[in-house]
Amino acid sequence: MANKKKSEDNLKGTFYAVMGVGIFVILVWVYCFNLFIDRF
Amino acid sequence: MHIHKYEKYFLVFGVGTLVAFLIILGIGAFHQGSHPNSGKKTLDYEKVKEIAPFDNPGVHKVEGKDWDYEVVILASAFYYNPPEIEVPLGAKVKFIATSEDVIHGFEIAGTNINMMLEPGYVSEYVAEINQAGEFLIVCNEYCGTGHTLMHSMLKVVDPNES
Ligand SMILES: [Cu+2]
Repeated sequence: MANKKKSEDNLKGTFYAVMGVGIFVILVWVYCFNLFIDRF
Repeated sequence: MHIHKYEKYFLVFGVGTLVAFLIILGIGAFHQGSHPNSGKKTLDYEKVKEIAPFDNPGVHKVEGKDWDYEVVILASAFYYNPPEIEVPLGAKVKFIATSEDVIHGFEIAGTNINMMLEPGYVSEYVAEINQAGEFLIVCNEYCGTGHTLMHSMLKVVDPNES
């Protein structure tokens, strides 16, 4: 029953890490999609 | 249920990207009509050499269609017929290909043209050729001992040059 305290944990680092991965995935996707659009 | 503030952001981001990519996929599939290159037309691969258009492989100029050229390709172990394809720059070309024996690949390196050629199925792709040069065509489906030697060439020539 200590979860009340746990949910107050600071997740800022986790947040930035996950967003960093997300942006990386999107950038790679945009690069590949652009390659697909440019080619015939 | 208590969800942490950042956890909500993760969820919004995750679900948001999922929705965005599903929309992009949906536009591609239903609006632009993207689909696998084969499966719509079938034929008897043992008699493929007698069946039009594969009785006459090569580059053919066509009139009154959405494309200017039809390139008919018959793949077999371990070569393509025709061994070389030459089309003018700017032409809209329909590639029509099949295999007469095993599964072969048809990939024009550096382009979006990449089809699997299955015996009994006709693979098609329409492309507007907007880049001059030579493009290597390779088989990218392992088809047997001669697989590594199986290649062809697409030559895109500028009609205003030469
Ligand atoms: Cu092969």
